[in-house]
Amino acid sequence: MGDLVIEGLVKRYGPVLAVDNVSLTVPAGKLVSLLGPSGCGKTTTLNCIAGLERPDAGVIRVAGTILTDASRRIFLPPERRRLGMVFQSYALWPHMTVFDNLAFGLRLQKLPRDEIRRRIAEVLELVGLGGMERRYPYQLSGGQQQRVALARAVVSQPAVLLLDEPLSNLDAKVREQARFWLREFQQRLRITTVYVTHDQAEALAISDLVAVMSAGKVLQYGPPREIYERPATRFVADFIGATSFLDGIVSDRSNGQLRVRVGGEIELCVTSAPTRQPGEPVVLAVRAERIALATDGNAVNIVPGVKRSQVYLGSRYQSLVETPAGTLRVETAIELPDGKVHLKLPPESLVVLPPEEGS
Amino acid sequence: MTATVEAARPVTRRSLDLPVQVALAAATVALVFFPLVPILVQAFSTRPLYDPVRAFTLSNFTRVLSSGAFWSVVGTTVAFAALTTVLAVTLGTALAVLVERTDLPARGLLNSLVILPFYVSPLVLAFAWAVIYGPQGYLTIWARQLIGRDPWNLYSIPGLAVVSMVYYVPYTYLYCTAALSLSDPQVEDAARIAGAGPLRAIRAVTLPLLRPAITYSALLTFVSALELLSIPLVLGTPAGIRVLASYLYILGIAGGRIDYGAIAAISVLTVAIVTALVWVQERLVSEERRFVTTGGRASRIRPMELGTLRWLAFAFVMAYFTFAVLLPLIGIVAQSATAFLSPLINPLQVLTWDNYRLILETEAYRRSIVNSLIIATLGGAIGILFMAFISLMSYRSEFPGRRALTYLALYPRAIPGIIVGIGFLWAFLLIPGLGAVRNTIWALMAAFIMRYIPLGFGAVSPAILRISPELDRAARVAGADWLGTTRRILLPLVRPALLSGYILLVITFLKEYSSALFLFARGSEVIGTTMIELWRQGNSGPVAALASIQIVLTLVVLAASSALLRRR
Ligand SMILES: Nc1ncnc2c1ncn2[C@@H]1O[C@H](COP(=O)(O)OP(=O)(O)O)[C@@H](O)[C@H]1O
Ligand SMILES: [Mg+2]
Repeated sequence: MGDLVIEGLVKRYGPVLAVDNVSLTVPAGKLVSLLGPSGCGKTTTLNCIAGLERPDAGVIRVAGTILTDASRRIFLPPERRRLGMVFQSYALWPHMTVFDNLAFGLRLQKLPRDEIRRRIAEVLELVGLGGMERRYPYQLSGGQQQRVALARAVVSQPAVLLLDEPLSNLDAKVREQARFWLREFQQRLRITTVYVTHDQAEALAISDLVAVMSAGKVLQYGPPREIYERPATRFVADFIGATSFLDGIVSDRSNGQLRVRVGGEIELCVTSAPTRQPGEPVVLAVRAERIALATDGNAVNIVPGVKRSQVYLGSRYQSLVETPAGTLRVETAIELPDGKVHLKLPPESLVVLPPEEGS
Repeated sequence: MTATVEAARPVTRRSLDLPVQVALAAATVALVFFPLVPILVQAFSTRPLYDPVRAFTLSNFTRVLSSGAFWSVVGTTVAFAALTTVLAVTLGTALAVLVERTDLPARGLLNSLVILPFYVSPLVLAFAWAVIYGPQGYLTIWARQLIGRDPWNLYSIPGLAVVSMVYYVPYTYLYCTAALSLSDPQVEDAARIAGAGPLRAIRAVTLPLLRPAITYSALLTFVSALELLSIPLVLGTPAGIRVLASYLYILGIAGGRIDYGAIAAISVLTVAIVTALVWVQERLVSEERRFVTTGGRASRIRPMELGTLRWLAFAFVMAYFTFAVLLPLIGIVAQSATAFLSPLINPLQVLTWDNYRLILETEAYRRSIVNSLIIATLGGAIGILFMAFISLMSYRSEFPGRRALTYLALYPRAIPGIIVGIGFLWAFLLIPGLGAVRNTIWALMAAFIMRYIPLGFGAVSPAILRISPELDRAARVAGADWLGTTRRILLPLVRPALLSGYILLVITFLKEYSSALFLFARGSEVIGTTMIELWRQGNSGPVAALASIQIVLTLVVLAASSALLRRR
């Protein structure tokens, strides 16, 4: 087994920098998500790995085999890369049965008939579609088509599996089941996987590592928990989860704790503080669900405010609260009282970000 | 099952992708330049091409441009083409709005009737009109008896333009119906609600929306009419009316001293002007595309109610079809089966098979039918595959020269048929070793295929562009090279378009004559060239018989294809 390594990948379309110097290592057997808003370059990155696009710069290799090295003009065509790929539209060939769709690559490898039949039966069993060999794609439901596409991608035992928003065409309900199922499937095969999605919940749920992308760049690369709890930039914090931002200035630093003055007279205490000096401007990010209604008026980090509006999310309430420090998004299990409220922002829930980042 | 990581897939055999692509591109380049190069060389040469001692000169151009005959031909050509365009576009637009947008009765039937002339050779249409409306035509004599003088003169520029109008109406009609079916009918409803009557709504809303389609059809018609040979040749020659194409034809068959330099210079000038017009047309298409995408695709809704005008409009369309298409076609069939066709004689008394007997018993005539059939069926098959591959290379490959290839594939539109024929003939004369091919149907097949690359390209490209690129990407990732992907995925998926493109080529090749006129030889005659030969000898009966045979063959192809397409 070998890692998939991407170094300094650049892809331009005329004036558009679709991929801007991306470097990533996908450890062997792990599932890595490329997460970011539409148009940020996820598909282009994936297509460069697959050999469907020619990068302008950069190296891509798998287990020591160089797939692409722009500076040395090495470019392996897609058919020789031993990859499996699932496309957003599934791209099942409509004029072929499920069996023929799966057999396409195996026949090109000149495998014996029996072997082909055995492998297809095995992989269809694995995706829960045993016995569907003779069906045509149009005779399958969306979820079944998605699983055939996955079966087709892995049937020739590729070194790397690439998935481009494979769940985005499914209904919300099916999509959530498919998420679990896909994760189990990947764990079972232990296949090195790159997974493209714009859905943050999906990325957090199924990945070993998440790379958050914006405008062609990777902003942060790490395990889901780290991405969620320790976002490195305002963009990442904003893109993932419901987050509020408070502008402030460091007023004091002691015992590994930071005090930050935000709007008005309010000073907040931050525990997980990187090295910041008093007087430095910073932005504090806080997740909506980490904010609570204060019961004890004398506790630390209490912010007074007025409830502006509220929506019911099914199991929780999300409210907008106007405070002297700025507007806070708050998610609570119980309804906030109308009018004046006191909110508690636990010191360990506050993340310090550089001030000018994003908008 | 675990993924085993090996190196990249081993190279079992070298992919043939690049060699095949290069070969296809080279074939396209060769086909398109084959006829152009000798014409260019000849246009700037002092002596005929076959003469090894030649020098560069501009005198061919100065001679042509200072000749009064040439300018009078240019004037006639432009007048003829302009009048044809005005008539065809006006009628085509009116018919499109009536059939596509109003509650005309039997609209499906009318639709088929209006596009019928599209399938008829203009040569046949010319002969057919002469039978009914010529100086000795059936209706002409009848009307002359009635009013005591000639009711009309078919052998005049307006006469030629009216016949050509019939041939070109389907072009405007098809473009306008396509544009109408894409635009939103609710804009007309809005005009009606604002208080406009149906005609007012059409004038104020529908027609302005159609403007891109109308402009495009007008240019297309104008360009085709500029190079049209058949109708001006058959109906204009008796009255001494000459257009560019018939002028070239006369110059080329002059016998004795042929002025090669003048022919080449006129060809170069014509191709240059048509190239410019085609370029303008191309610019319009890209704008029209933008136009169409902004309007949403609307579902068909209730057509506009014409009220009392409804039956009047129906009568108008039926009258047009009857007098412009049906009567002439019946006339030519009647002519072929009688010794003498005139309102003064009961045709049943002069019924005869002589015309058909002459055609079928003369070896050269019979051969022309067989040749036409072989070129149409075999050449059509080779042609459509070739054109499909060019389109696949243009739109579905990483071939480095694919954009240039697309332009090249579409360029033959700018070369009039008769000039294609001249160019091919000269190229065969000029290039040693090709002599064996020159007098065979393969030469004609090559010329026909070259001339209609744009037609086949246009017929299959939309289908190719409609296939999601992810389908071929999936095949590439699964291990197929470009050729494998093309053969196993793309070609099977565009099979319906290949089939209808094939039928289009078969019908087109069956009626093609202009590029064959200079190129055919003993043994490689086709129906069109034989018809013109017979016409020059003054044999109107056998011409009618051959024309009828061509009509029947076309109808058979159409019937077979609609049966075939329906079965799918
Ligand atoms: N073939 C192309 N030609 C021009 N621009 C492209 C092409 N493909 C993608 N782009 C541009 O590159 C950027 C990244 O696109 P993409 O990788 O598809 O984004 P994502 O998959 O993250 O939504 C976008 O700005 C897009 O408009
Ligand atoms: Mg994408």
